[in-house]
Amino acid sequence: MMFNLDKKDFDHFLKDLLETHDLFAPVQLTEGVSVFKKIDNPGEVSLSQLVPQKSAKEVFFPQSEVMFRYQIAGNQGPTVSEQKIERERILLGARPCDIEAISIIEKVFTGEDYTDVYFAEKRKRTTIIGLGCNHPLSTCFCSSTGGGPFNRAGSDLFFTDLGDAYFVELLTEKGMAFRVNKFFKEADSEDLGLMKEIEDKASQKVDRTVPVEGIEKRLDLMVESPFWDRAHEKCIGCGVCTFLCPTCHCFDITDEAVNQKGQRVRNWDSCLFPIYSLETSGHNPRPTGRERTRQRLMHKFNYYPKNFGRVACVGCGRCILYCPVQFDIREALVYASAKRGKGRKGKFK
Amino acid sequence: MKNPYLPIPMILKKAEIETSDRLLRTLELGFKNKEDEESFRFIPGQFCELSILGKGEAPFGIASSPIEKTALKFTINKAGVVTTALHQIEAGSEIGIRGPLGNGYPIDFFEGKNLLVIGGGFAFTTLRSLVAYYLHPENRTKVKQITVVYGARMPGLLLYKDELLEWEKRDDIKLVTTVDWGDKDWKGKVGLVPNVLEEIAPSSENTCAVICGPPIMIKFTFPKLVALRFPNERIFTSLEKRMKCGIGKCGRCNIGHLYVCKDGPVFSYAQLEKLPKDY
Amino acid sequence: MVQQQLREKAKELLSNKTVDLIIGFGEWTLPLRTTPVFIRTPEGAKSLVWNSFCENNLTAYLHKFSRLKVGLVVKGCDARSVTALSLEKRFPNHPPLLIGIPCQRLVDRKKVKKAVKGEILQAVEQGDLLLVKGENFEVSLKREDFLYASCRSCAHRTPHQAHILIGDPVEEVSLVDAHPEVSKLEGMSPEERWSFFEKETSRCIRCYACREACPMCYCAECFVDSSRPRWIEKSLSPSDLAFYHIVRAFHQTGRCSGCGACERACPMDIRLTFLTQKLNQEVKDLYGFETGIQPEAAPPLSTFDPEDEQEFIK
Repeated sequence: MMFNLDKKDFDHFLKDLLETHDLFAPVQLTEGVSVFKKIDNPGEVSLSQLVPQKSAKEVFFPQSEVMFRYQIAGNQGPTVSEQKIERERILLGARPCDIEAISIIEKVFTGEDYTDVYFAEKRKRTTIIGLGCNHPLSTCFCSSTGGGPFNRAGSDLFFTDLGDAYFVELLTEKGMAFRVNKFFKEADSEDLGLMKEIEDKASQKVDRTVPVEGIEKRLDLMVESPFWDRAHEKCIGCGVCTFLCPTCHCFDITDEAVNQKGQRVRNWDSCLFPIYSLETSGHNPRPTGRERTRQRLMHKFNYYPKNFGRVACVGCGRCILYCPVQFDIREALVYASAKRGKGRKGKFK
Repeated sequence: MKNPYLPIPMILKKAEIETSDRLLRTLELGFKNKEDEESFRFIPGQFCELSILGKGEAPFGIASSPIEKTALKFTINKAGVVTTALHQIEAGSEIGIRGPLGNGYPIDFFEGKNLLVIGGGFAFTTLRSLVAYYLHPENRTKVKQITVVYGARMPGLLLYKDELLEWEKRDDIKLVTTVDWGDKDWKGKVGLVPNVLEEIAPSSENTCAVICGPPIMIKFTFPKLVALRFPNERIFTSLEKRMKCGIGKCGRCNIGHLYVCKDGPVFSYAQLEKLPKDY
Repeated sequence: MVQQQLREKAKELLSNKTVDLIIGFGEWTLPLRTTPVFIRTPEGAKSLVWNSFCENNLTAYLHKFSRLKVGLVVKGCDARSVTALSLEKRFPNHPPLLIGIPCQRLVDRKKVKKAVKGEILQAVEQGDLLLVKGENFEVSLKREDFLYASCRSCAHRTPHQAHILIGDPVEEVSLVDAHPEVSKLEGMSPEERWSFFEKETSRCIRCYACREACPMCYCAECFVDSSRPRWIEKSLSPSDLAFYHIVRAFHQTGRCSGCGACERACPMDIRLTFLTQKLNQEVKDLYGFETGIQPEAAPPLSTFDPEDEQEFIK
């Protein structure tokens, strides 16, 4: 089902949503810096930044999350209390790459044996309104990783910015719940044509040449490659790429307590931090940047694919854009794919 | 939805210092709730996350065997924040556990074979669980010969000393203990585990080897096993990593595409040789 | 041309094996940026570049390559960091060979991005101008208007400590208001200052890019990573964020060269240098000390003498 949502009505549309839902959308913290946050009023929503620094994964898997709280009372033993999600949720304005990434994390956090209830509960109760990318950046390569700037997979509703209005598609059962909405008008063929035009133009723009196809097999042969000796050299070992990555999902669990009260908290962690793998004995199985850089790339393009059948990269380009030293994951993939002895070997910087 | 991150309550029934350096303490935990006790089923080699609220959680191999029904045992090496708290906690207190986690030893694969158990230092915990499991009359016929080689730096650092004495008296298990430095009462061998193994040269025929110990011991013992013609498919070890969630979510313990907490902690060398050396 | 001279010098140093490795800047995939490059062969020297986008303080890499004889491309501020590290005895075996370039001051890429609409696909320098191109635009900007704050307030652009100086020393300007950022903050009430500080640090994601980009942050165990004792939690509570940033800045007292690499590394655009610059200014006022200017002068906070002349200590 396809509708047209006039931008003049957009704030009212959001206001209505806020009545019944917790709404999460990109918010600008300062010029050029956006993150996904819970919205209190429509004016906060800012959809202009194509890739907000922190991805939409935060809506389901916050950087810092209380798992449960506890109170120790005398000899009764502790009482443990969990937080529950009260209201249905809406994620608005996530781009196709971020939405794809949520399904990548979901494969890890759900599973046959154990389900990560914190993630799963939020995922179950969230309706996703995706937003197409009219103007992909030169660092975007979603079309190389199996997605695209208008990939609708994972979205319940999908918006395309037509200029004065949003073109609205209802794609799933959750999305169909919006078919009666006073701000949605039936879309006409002109709207549809415009949407298609925008989609085609954007899709042509995104880099399809990053060699992701077959990367798992190629990396199988590169575990001890001298490539890693060079690849990590400029990496300074900060957590920018992993924290901003929409698919990275490693976390640490710690207790925070004062006297008799406390909470168990999980926080994002990064395989690029030396302390991440450091053991109490002092032994570190990944002692240098070489092993840590290898872990980051292999997890995305070899380990994850072995377990789940696709790469754990959606081509959003955040790690390229925000890396303090310009580590470019695309070039690492090009290197891994280059035929040896054809002069590309030394090219990775 | 069941929350796999919530610990179940256990009560510390008894605690005992195991070693002369006082760094190893064995905790005996009883279930607080009957239904938890009934649903808790494990095999040797599995582990649990032990938690002290306010201090945190850490993984420990289960040292008791499944046939010891009423209590779970863990031997704790005092090293960090959580383990120090587990050394201080008094009998009667509550400790949270999550588990059993991980795959455990391949007891189906061991069936009908001889078992060679090689342990070093405080890594003997799940090996103790394994041996105690097979020494139980119900299970003794599941494997043939049991040979145990167990070493520590000094006699005082061996775990489960009373039990080792019991095992020594039995004729259905061959126990060889060794230390780097003996004292005047020491009657076992003096020497490093790899050398002792070479000396006693157990047959690899129809035998599975299980080896747990400090990395340096494993490094030098492994070639000896190869020399004894143990194939990699029949050499097993239990790995330790900084496991946090214990259920394959948090990502901290992967070696290649496998997770120590979920796909391990027990791996065969045939598996490990295909993985990056991230351990 | 400086870049050509740099390449020739680097080639020579690698050819005659004066150094094993040269760490410098190279062209890479993004406009308005360069990337650190690690060159081991004379032929590799041709990939070195020098322009207004050489924003990293490469001194930070010396910790990683302490076993090699390194030739390091440095600006004025970077060289001061090297001096400060030498005083802390960081180079017992192989002090780096400094290839200094008098700095023309660097262009703030974030500021340039904000000045245009649309993605910048190409940026080239032409004299005092910066030619910036995108899909549907092409503008030329005055370089002077887009300099990093840390560069605008820099009074030591020539790396006099360098073993080899490429290009001519620049005339150092004596600044009327050395740190406009700091002055602005000093003009605020304590409440305003605190709320400014909290607003900035509230964006922190604890990726520690600021720490890792800084040559002076080389502690084997950073206080944030210590578990015994645990000084700080790992979550994003405002108090922990404030704590991290205050302590990080304080650890730099008398050690910071004011290069601004921390702020440039931050993906969340947190203004960090106002704190370190304020401390630099305090150290200068109280002890007459500036980091890395005099090669023999010990940093004031690492020495103690009962005869210390400063009144406020007694």
